[in-house]
Amino acid sequence: MSNTLRPYLSAVRSTVTAAMCLENFSSQVVERHNKPEVEARVSSEVLLTPVVISRNENEKVLIEGSINSLRISIKVKQADEIERILCHKFTRFLMLRAESFFILRRKPVEGYDISFLVTNHHTETMYKHKLVDFIIQFMEEVDKEISEMKLSLNARARIVAESYLQQFS
Amino acid sequence: MSHRKINVDQYDDEDAFVDENQTASGPTADSAQVEADVNSRAAEVRNYLSRGDVAGAVAKALENPPAGRALQTVKDRNTATVMEALAAARSTDIINIVKGLSTQQMDILMKYIYRGMGSPELYNSAILLTWHEKATEVGGLGGIVRALTDRKTV
Repeated sequence: MSNTLRPYLSAVRSTVTAAMCLENFSSQVVERHNKPEVEARVSSEVLLTPVVISRNENEKVLIEGSINSLRISIKVKQADEIERILCHKFTRFLMLRAESFFILRRKPVEGYDISFLVTNHHTETMYKHKLVDFIIQFMEEVDKEISEMKLSLNARARIVAESYLQQFS
Repeated sequence: MSHRKINVDQYDDEDAFVDENQTASGPTADSAQVEADVNSRAAEVRNYLSRGDVAGAVAKALENPPAGRALQTVKDRNTATVMEALAAARSTDIINIVKGLSTQQMDILMKYIYRGMGSPELYNSAILLTWHEKATEVGGLGGIVRALTDRKTV
């Protein structure tokens, strides 16, 4: 299973690097407005073909590019009910604090767990390769984090159950 | 206020954005012809595969892909043909097959790799990830950019 992780991450890395060619671009529809085209969706000529990179049915990344913004949506592996709850809580915790992560989107795209929105402003103020590294590192960490939380949750549940049942012995 | 939401640009013939995907000429011109092409190509690819010539099968499968929005079923069938050819390759042979392809074929290959990964319930993503890795190694980021910007989706 883990032998598909490396090509998966490298495919995401190269696609995000390729899609992250952003420039300042004012709205073609509203005068003096400048909005991320991938969100506004008012002029279809500035949008790129959205691509999906999947490791299996439960783990995939949607990359939607446009002239001045890039949206990356990640679906995290959720094998069972506990992982689903943990993942929901974890991503919710991060998304409530989205302004401290700069590129994090406050809501995930439909069908995915967490989304990032990179705009030309971000690529101008931050290094492009560091942004890509951040996303790849996030993808690596989130799986690790959730399986760790699951382990500690199970361990804790066992201790609670043991100490509760001791009074009956 | 609903008149403000009308996209007035669509009534403007001069500046209107023309989506190549809908008006694509060539392979989309005659859907019966395209369908026959796709079916005969599928048979030829299977022929190559039964002889064990995977490189030939991949090159044949990537020939003249159907484009246009109206032809979704035909495009899906052609995708299945390409995936069959890609899945037949052993992981050690992939790099040599990719090196043997022309730039145009590489671009079409990249589009089909993304198309295949778009439906992980049908096609094995692990194989496609290996193909993607090799295709990027040989073709660089250019192929990915062309797959992203090309409006003639497969």
